Amino acid sequence: MKPSELIEHGYVWLDSRTTESARLLARLISRRSFLGRLGALFAGAAVLPLLPVARSLAQEAPQEIGDSQSCDYWRYCALGGTLCACCGGTVTSCPPGAELSPITWVGTCHNPADDRDYLISYNDCCGKAVCRRCSCHGSEREKPVYFPSKANNILWCFGTKAHTYHCTVAGILGEAAGLGS
Amino acid sequence: MRAIALLALYLTFLIPLANAQLAPQAPTVEIMDDPSENWFIAMSWGHGAYIYDATTGEMQGLLSTSRQTPAVQPNPARKEFYAAESYYSRETHGDRTDLLTIYDFENLSPIAEVEIPNKIAILPFRTYIQLLSDGRHVGIFNMTPAASVSIVDIVDRSLAGEISTPGCALIMAVGNNDFLMICGDGTMQLVQLDDEGSESNRERSRKFFSVEDDPVFDHPVPFNGGWLLVSHLGDVFHVTVDRNTIHISDAWSMISEEDAEENWRPGGFQLKSVHEGTGLLYILVHQGGEYTHQDPGTEVWVFNLAAQRRIARIELEVETSNIMVTQEFEPKLIVSDDEGGLHIYDALKLSLDRTINDPGPGPFSMQDL
Repeated sequence: MKPSELIEHGYVWLDSRTTESARLLARLISRRSFLGRLGALFAGAAVLPLLPVARSLAQEAPQEIGDSQSCDYWRYCALGGTLCACCGGTVTSCPPGAELSPITWVGTCHNPADDRDYLISYNDCCGKAVCRRCSCHGSEREKPVYFPSKANNILWCFGTKAHTYHCTVAGILGEAAGLGS
Repeated sequence: MRAIALLALYLTFLIPLANAQLAPQAPTVEIMDDPSENWFIAMSWGHGAYIYDATTGEMQGLLSTSRQTPAVQPNPARKEFYAAESYYSRETHGDRTDLLTIYDFENLSPIAEVEIPNKIAILPFRTYIQLLSDGRHVGIFNMTPAASVSIVDIVDRSLAGEISTPGCALIMAVGNNDFLMICGDGTMQLVQLDDEGSESNRERSRKFFSVEDDPVFDHPVPFNGGWLLVSHLGDVFHVTVDRNTIHISDAWSMISEEDAEENWRPGGFQLKSVHEGTGLLYILVHQGGEYTHQDPGTEVWVFNLAAQRRIARIELEVETSNIMVTQEFEPKLIVSDDEGGLHIYDALKLSLDRTINDPGPGPFSMQDL
């Protein structure tokens, strides 16, 4: 068989299979119910947590021990900066009036309370003078500035109105084993 | 009554007499002398650039740059400093304006400015700003976090352009108006410019280090026409450029087997410096495990680069993250300890010359003039 005939044969086979499938589909469902199910699928997709960040939110928060105002607190293992928890915020919230940067660097820290590793997102809080309390220098798995996603020497006030650095928060993205570190 | 008479006599005769002996002092303003090779800048994050004479320990003046300026670029040929600065209309918020500000040597005053893209990387690294070899163009590293380099023509006082440099960071000037960058895939990138400061070519080196296993520190230092890089585990590389080709030397380790058994490794922030005249490398080391690359040094080790051999070690009284050696014939080793102390050693005799009293808001990163 010539190549052109082979291709033509393939098209004929594909056509027949598609026709059969369409007829089978038409027999099983009405057009209206098909559109309804398709709509539900899209709506469900919007609600389903597709990103790792969103997926982690669905997980139960891990048990923790330690003082979130101390550099030794397990979540701060790769945090270079000052702690928002010491400056009127918390481990996951900026102090009043600061603007949370949506762009972050990440670290992988070991939680001694459950003996598991977690991916931690370090978000800078911006738009105010630096809060000079609780300055930390965690560098576990930290990388140089030419590998920015894991570099803690960068001021990560990107995507905010002002890029002035105030302090840093540390949110759990999820278990490192599940998300990759 | 008698006392009043004596007081009147005193007021009448003695005070005018005293005034006649002491001429009133009219305050003046100093002009800064031409910098010597033994001068250095102690850069205080957010508080400007303190200029010191390393021999006398005397402060010479202050460059008051923006709070977002981590380093300045001197240009002795034109007696100018260049500072990439970022200002907000309301100090910490409001409209942002990024500038390359030109300061003169004599008065340390701003004499011109060039508006540049509002993207300068607020990175406390000396190599985020570089004067290129033609003496006409200055490169400023940007991060938004997309990486790019702004090029400013400091003769025309104008922005020559912006070059996108994805995946690579810092600026290391080499010959022919070109510069090198370190890239996240374990390579070096060479960006070549034409006379106008526009990109004419770019090249990539072979992969010579692993970012995951043993990245090189992001504090390269100039040496012998190229740049010296050291990895977290102590491998030393010399990078040079010949026309369009990037040469990476074979690595040698500054950590012997015995040192490794004792967990010695390099670390700190501005952790190393090279004296070009003698080919000596000064580098901070500490005893620690994996991921301690930012830990301060407890000792300075001195290596003869030609022999690839350690020749001395200096114990530090206070843990230290930043050191620099001046380039004069009899160099000084400047040590900015983590408690804010600023110490000056004879870099050849390895003895402490002086500790500067109340040096300003340290710890400092240091640089040459």
